[in-house]
Amino acid sequence: MNYQQATWTRETDTGEPVNEPLLSEKRTQTVTYDDVDLPDELVRDELTLPEPAEPEVARHYTRLSQMNYSVEHGPYPLGSCTMKYNPKFIEDVAALEDGAIHPDRPDEYAQGTLGILHGLQEYLAEIGGMETATLQPPAGAAGEFTGLLVARAYHQSNDEDDQRREVIVPASAHGTNFASAAMAGYDVVELPSDEDGRVPVDALEEAVGDSTAALMLTNPNTLGLFERDIADIADIVHDAGGLLYYDGANLNALLGRARPGDMGFDIMHYNVHKTFASPHGGGGPGAGPIGVVDELTEFLPDPHVRETEDGSFELYEPAESIGKVHGFYGNWLVLLKTYAYISRLGDGGLKDTSAMAVLNANYLASQIDLDITYGPFHHEFVASAGDVDAAEFAKGMLDEGVHPPTTKWPEIVDEALMTEPTEALSKEQLDVLAAAFTATNRKTSDELADAPTTTAAARIDQTSAARNPRLSWQDVGENDE
Amino acid sequence: MTHETPDDLLYTDSHEWIDDREDTLRIGITDFAQDELGDVVFVELPSEGDSLESGAACAVVESIKAVSDIYTPVSGTVTATNEAILDQPELLNTDPYGDGWLFEIDGQVPDDALDADDYCEQIE
Amino acid sequence: MQRIQHDGTDHPHELDESSPFAPQTPQEVDAMLSAISADSVEELFDVPEAVAFHGDFDIEAKSEYEVVTEIEELLGQNADRTEFLGRGHYDHYVPSVVDYLSLRSEFLTSYTQYQPETSQGFLQALFEFQSMIVELTGLDVANCSMYDAATALGEAALLAARVRETSGSRVLVPETIRSERHSVLENYADGAELTVETYPLAEGNTDVGALSELIDEDVVMVYAESPTARGAIEERLSAVATLADDHEAAFCLGSDPVALALLKEPAAVGADIVIGDASVLGLSASHGMGLGLFAVKDGYLRQVPGRLVGTSETAEGRRAYTLTLQTREQHIRKERATSNICTNQAWVALRTAIHIATLGASGLAALAEDCVATASEAAARLDAVEGVTAPVDDRHHFREFVARTERPASEVASELADRGFLVHEVGEFEVQICVTETNSDDVDGLVAAVQEVLE
Repeated sequence: MNYQQATWTRETDTGEPVNEPLLSEKRTQTVTYDDVDLPDELVRDELTLPEPAEPEVARHYTRLSQMNYSVEHGPYPLGSCTMKYNPKFIEDVAALEDGAIHPDRPDEYAQGTLGILHGLQEYLAEIGGMETATLQPPAGAAGEFTGLLVARAYHQSNDEDDQRREVIVPASAHGTNFASAAMAGYDVVELPSDEDGRVPVDALEEAVGDSTAALMLTNPNTLGLFERDIADIADIVHDAGGLLYYDGANLNALLGRARPGDMGFDIMHYNVHKTFASPHGGGGPGAGPIGVVDELTEFLPDPHVRETEDGSFELYEPAESIGKVHGFYGNWLVLLKTYAYISRLGDGGLKDTSAMAVLNANYLASQIDLDITYGPFHHEFVASAGDVDAAEFAKGMLDEGVHPPTTKWPEIVDEALMTEPTEALSKEQLDVLAAAFTATNRKTSDELADAPTTTAAARIDQTSAARNPRLSWQDVGENDE
Repeated sequence: MTHETPDDLLYTDSHEWIDDREDTLRIGITDFAQDELGDVVFVELPSEGDSLESGAACAVVESIKAVSDIYTPVSGTVTATNEAILDQPELLNTDPYGDGWLFEIDGQVPDDALDADDYCEQIE
Repeated sequence: MQRIQHDGTDHPHELDESSPFAPQTPQEVDAMLSAISADSVEELFDVPEAVAFHGDFDIEAKSEYEVVTEIEELLGQNADRTEFLGRGHYDHYVPSVVDYLSLRSEFLTSYTQYQPETSQGFLQALFEFQSMIVELTGLDVANCSMYDAATALGEAALLAARVRETSGSRVLVPETIRSERHSVLENYADGAELTVETYPLAEGNTDVGALSELIDEDVVMVYAESPTARGAIEERLSAVATLADDHEAAFCLGSDPVALALLKEPAAVGADIVIGDASVLGLSASHGMGLGLFAVKDGYLRQVPGRLVGTSETAEGRRAYTLTLQTREQHIRKERATSNICTNQAWVALRTAIHIATLGASGLAALAEDCVATASEAAARLDAVEGVTAPVDDRHHFREFVARTERPASEVASELADRGFLVHEVGEFEVQICVTETNSDDVDGLVAAVQEVLE
């Protein structure tokens, strides 16, 4: 692949070349407040901000956009991130004027919005095999936190909260699982993987007990492997009085093939920005609805949406609600896009999504000349860069016109390259991606050390960024060595 | 790759060194440890006067992508800390046995401390 | 698995069996299966029969046109009303340029910038966003987003507890705080064994005397808002800051970027942390979707939750941007991270930055000044109506204010809704009214309707 990212460079006053200058290095303006009808002591003395004319705003951000790789440029196979194509029409749907309402409207004036939220609750419940789903958590990690608050409320209702202080998390789990458990006030018990990369049932039996609040699991796990013992795992946790939590990051592998509810999970979150194609937006917004089984619905966040006898929709507070996890109703625009995407695909499209995601991963893996120890994998696999530092390997891949996989994680694989092509790559694009792996694999260590050379910035010194943090344009120039 | 392991220091399994040549014990991390960590970008130290139990996490060393706890191999009271590494964490990389020391503690050398040869064997 | 051809003219778009966003042709599927020596896609699923799903979701696939039409129809059921609603979610006009630029797929469809060399554009935009917030707050460090104001407040309390030399267990918030924000804060505080208590206001501002009675060494954070949830500009922030400081508690101020463009900068009144909803610029009314603003003084840097973009240099010595201080975050520090946040509101931050850039300092300051003037004018006009006192609190207001009505507020709000206007019912005889440039032309109609309702 012949690839060169656009780069907009100019010389500053000091003769240093910089890529597109900061807004603060262009036209700025300082305003003072003379006419405002407020006492002086309440008003700031002045405000200094960039003041570009609109054409300059447009040029600035267009240039920045060109120095940014995206799903629409080419393969973006970040494992566990599910960087699939984001359909255009969902943006049009999100822009509909009638959806732009204030969250404090009384229910009767917000029937359209509530109807969509209710419809999405039902869609998600059906897809996950759950009783219902709350849409309030604004991201996957927020969903985890919410789910654990629900678990805690459940144990409180059984007078067991004081004793059930532990959440068990497999070592290969996403970092958010550990952090969410800690935020919910739990002690984290880490469970090492067994030799074939799965949860060791024996060790789990040892770990669970009267102090277990929940086990958090991703299935398929971060190696792409289905936890084949899931039914036994569920029994072990339930027999000990704990709850089973499903991290939905990898749900794209299983749509219509297996549902967390049927596997015995009590609580799950959905990463709608992964599985259901709402765009990642450079890091967010996403949404992390959680589904729960019937027994836990009374603990869901306030409010929940329900349909009344006359077919209208209303908000209500579940009887033993944990309260709120977002100031209003979560990331509405993302939820709306999710509703549109699921409506478009329907049963067949959803099932086909997983089929093609799994086929793509398996085909891609077969075309790559790197060790892949663990299988059979589903929508993602973890290859090893072998003797090469995986982070260096990734820099080399950048020059092949693709985004590299997630690197150095999960730690069970040395120099891991965690690769998830998603369903949205054609065979031709998979071949491009495989060729990028191959070409990178042939690069010498010197070539890798010099990579990337085709991106807007050459290799960036992470160490000096951390040793000498400059986090705003106010700091630029000040602390330069 | 070989790592420097001075003969006149004592070592621990968890890659700290102990200098017992003065009245108080000086503690740092080994050349091997700094190499494993990579470029150190931030260090958190105990406070002078802190009373530490042997084996307790008492300092933190961060590189770009990793965070490591430093465990005191010695029980006792912290008598001095190396303020210079707060501003220049790179000293842990460039001079782990010298200007990159971490803290000094008033206590006894543990029985299970390793000499240089034993430590070298362990990291090989 | 039977796949339907997507592009062939003899095959009309069959909706039932394939995803229009999975581009494999049947021939490609066959070739790929053959390459991996598999007979069917189904055999690739390693799912034990006991937990396999063979049912249907009963979700009918639709064409793009059908979906768009259905959603248009559904959203059309949102009654056509003019909103005078605020209380933490505001509708300012968002210029078209914000949509056109932020919707560029290079921004919209990118991921978190873990590979900075190929993500310089978004990183720079976020760095500029952080810088704008630093300017507006006067504080040293701003992160590149939390979910919303409520979750940012929760994170602020956790940070305040971590930075204290000695442990503490209480967080004090104003009694006027939105109950929803209070509830979110309690959920965040609970895991850290913190309790949330309210302090009273007098005449719309902090009752400093009462606060000084409540505060003690066990308080880790005092939170105040300006403007308050009732729209009053808080005039006693310095006194609150002093009280907090005297007890080694952090002082957290809640505000928003428009208000901050006019009001005394938080750093100058002694704030240690500023939180708020920055999507008041960048997003129009969006049913409460937000952008958590989070800024702190320098000493708290290592305890900041969420992503931070910093500058560095490339191998050639050229300035470049990168996520930095990532060891604070969950993917490295796991249960000892400063927060569990991963996915955030980066794209909304981009929109807010574009909006601020488009307004410029002059435009932003003018917008903020209008928020004072329009609230004051609307209050004066309603005050002139028989049976209405506005504003109830004898303070300066920003965007919104509370009005007392002689008739019960529930009746007033309901009858105004019948006449096409939505206002908040905030007390037995109190309604709250928010005016921005998107509804200021309708103030005449609102005043006339209030007159009718109270006749």
